[in-house]
Amino acid sequence: MKKKLKVIWKHVLLTILSAIWLIPIVWLLVTSLSAYKGINTMHFFPEKWSLDNYAQLFFRPDTVANFPAWFRNSMIIGVACCIISTSFVLMVAYAMSCMRFRARKPLMSFAIILGMFPGVLSMIAIYFVMKLIGLTNSMLGLIVIYSAGSGLGYLICKGFFDTIPVSLRESAKLEGASQLTIFTKIVIPLSKPIIVYTVINSFLTPWMDFVMAKLMIRSKNPQDWTVAMGLYNLVQRTLVGNYFSVFCAGGIIVAIPISVLFIIMQKFYVEGITGGAVKG
Amino acid sequence: MKKYWKDFFTAIKCGDIWTRFSLLVMGVGYWGHGQVVKGILMCLIELGFFFFTGKVSWQYITKLNTLGTVQREEVLDLTTLTKTVNDYDNSLLILLFGIIGILTIAAFVLLYISNLKAVYRLQMMKENGEHIPRFTEDCQELVNGKFHVTLLTLPGLGVLLVNIIPIIFMICIAFTNYDLNHQPPTYLFTWVGLNNFKQLFTTTTTVTFGYVFVRVLVWTLVWALLATFTTYFGGILLAKLINDRTVRCKKLWRTLFVITIAIPQFVTLLLVGKMFGDYGIVNGICSRIGLTQFLQNIGLVSHGLSYIPFLSKPGWAHVMIVMINIWVGVPFQMLSATGILMNIPNDQLESAKIDGANERQIFWKITMPYMLFVTGPSLITAIIGNINNFNVIYLLTSDYVTSNMNFANSNAREVDLLVTWLFTLTNDYSNYKMASVIGICVFIICAVLTLVGFTRMIAGNREEEFQ
Repeated sequence: MKKKLKVIWKHVLLTILSAIWLIPIVWLLVTSLSAYKGINTMHFFPEKWSLDNYAQLFFRPDTVANFPAWFRNSMIIGVACCIISTSFVLMVAYAMSCMRFRARKPLMSFAIILGMFPGVLSMIAIYFVMKLIGLTNSMLGLIVIYSAGSGLGYLICKGFFDTIPVSLRESAKLEGASQLTIFTKIVIPLSKPIIVYTVINSFLTPWMDFVMAKLMIRSKNPQDWTVAMGLYNLVQRTLVGNYFSVFCAGGIIVAIPISVLFIIMQKFYVEGITGGAVKG
Repeated sequence: MKKYWKDFFTAIKCGDIWTRFSLLVMGVGYWGHGQVVKGILMCLIELGFFFFTGKVSWQYITKLNTLGTVQREEVLDLTTLTKTVNDYDNSLLILLFGIIGILTIAAFVLLYISNLKAVYRLQMMKENGEHIPRFTEDCQELVNGKFHVTLLTLPGLGVLLVNIIPIIFMICIAFTNYDLNHQPPTYLFTWVGLNNFKQLFTTTTTVTFGYVFVRVLVWTLVWALLATFTTYFGGILLAKLINDRTVRCKKLWRTLFVITIAIPQFVTLLLVGKMFGDYGIVNGICSRIGLTQFLQNIGLVSHGLSYIPFLSKPGWAHVMIVMINIWVGVPFQMLSATGILMNIPNDQLESAKIDGANERQIFWKITMPYMLFVTGPSLITAIIGNINNFNVIYLLTSDYVTSNMNFANSNAREVDLLVTWLFTLTNDYSNYKMASVIGICVFIICAVLTLVGFTRMIAGNREEEFQ
């Protein structure tokens, strides 16, 4: 009897907790279906339901909300970053994990030291550097910023490579394989979980970041913005009264590609994190 | 280090005519010893370097000591009504190009020395009658023995561009007077030594940086510890609860929590920020059910307010930020803790059970030590991540206005972390010099934390344990 009570209690606790975690999400969803454009402060559920926010998002871009263009921009930047960052991370991780050369340890310590500088500090300096090269106000500039430094985030991936048995690589070497062959034919096929983890992470960075984007893209034309920038702009004080439910609809739409990624790759994701992290 | 220079001087002393001549023209050594293509490449690099330094960066490097002396002046020619601008100095460009110029010079010197050594090695190989590698063989070596060079070049250049150069630049700014009143191109800025650091620790009636810095620093550290440990333990407890043998539909529960991750953080944070806003939905409901009245009666909310200042008064805002961060962070932690919990050696749990340990004892004596052992290093990273946690604070407190004059004087707010303060200083007030000083302080804090916690990892003695 006591045991049964305990089981029920656990389920009740889980229900309460998941309710707490879901309330904001549900609110996001129902507000996106509201006919009222501003923030409804008195009622949780909207008084009048409508799909108009989604229609406005997709088919009626105006001077402040141009969601199709934002989505396209973020998609392009995300895919580009994804390719560049993932290859950078894999390259650095392979060099640091599987190769032995004199500068290896110093470079690793140097990378850790670099990682300790707050990212916000260099933001403004990156802006000056980019202005010098003439890459501000362009998507190319954002791609460079998001992916160029990604080599520094190699540690988790290196941790994973460290767990690949060294005998595999050595036997390949005896058979006459070059390091390039070992890298592409042995190590990469064995590292699916960590590659998936890196791909998701680097794809998501441009979708989540708005500070850097706001700093770099000074254009007042919403066509040049990214999703994060645009949505952030919608809840500024002057606009929130007319665009809050549109913002919610945008949030829901953005969540779709991300959740699809997660659902397909959830299994890999958990393996990927822990595979690299278990190292004591 | 000693060997490095010794090799260099032996190369000069014992080198033949080709080797010595490559002191002047870098490619000649390769040329003379039968590696023509490499020789041409070296020549081109040298030419390119001298061209860049002479044409572009040298003029800036010479002005680095003053950061420019000629201020911009516009003269309006009244007869033609055209504006002419004098040949002014731009301190910003001088500093930036100066840094890039010095970095290229340093890189060139390193290349120059290693070039001489390589040529000398080549000479020795020729004298001993060894096979001189052809250019194609050298290229093949780049995907085999020297593969790390190929792998690291591009990522290295990227890091140089968006990490190293900006960081050096900002560190330099900390020693200048670059602020609102000294903005290029109209005005010049110059070196001021340690003045900014002194200013950070002074508190007078007009300069309040000292007072504010200590307050913000304390809140940053408290926040980092609270945020890290609440989400850490919350995540572990939740993972344990879901993975409990008696709990049904584990996948369903897990998915329910993971849904919150799927929505981008900035959307959920802005949304929650609006929910708890002064006139947001939570306040609407609270005043309807009388909670606002009740809190006013017991003195938690001052009587002048008609709402609960969840995110707009110190105290309330601090607590709410930590709570909301738990909401944001626990699902992530739950995911990774789930993976690790499943890896706990089952025999340990079984034997503990046989020995009569109850659940609590097992949790504290086996599960937690194991978790700490595995995730210890990542805890340090998490603390550092939270010190730099810009998004949570910035997005949640966009409507927060400080009423403390000391804070307002230094453009800070009670809820600011060092990094958000830094951002406000640069973005809204163009106070780059103080922002850089704060950035350096953040770096020092993180460095100390890392050194204390990570020594094991940097030493890297155990990295081969699993291979």
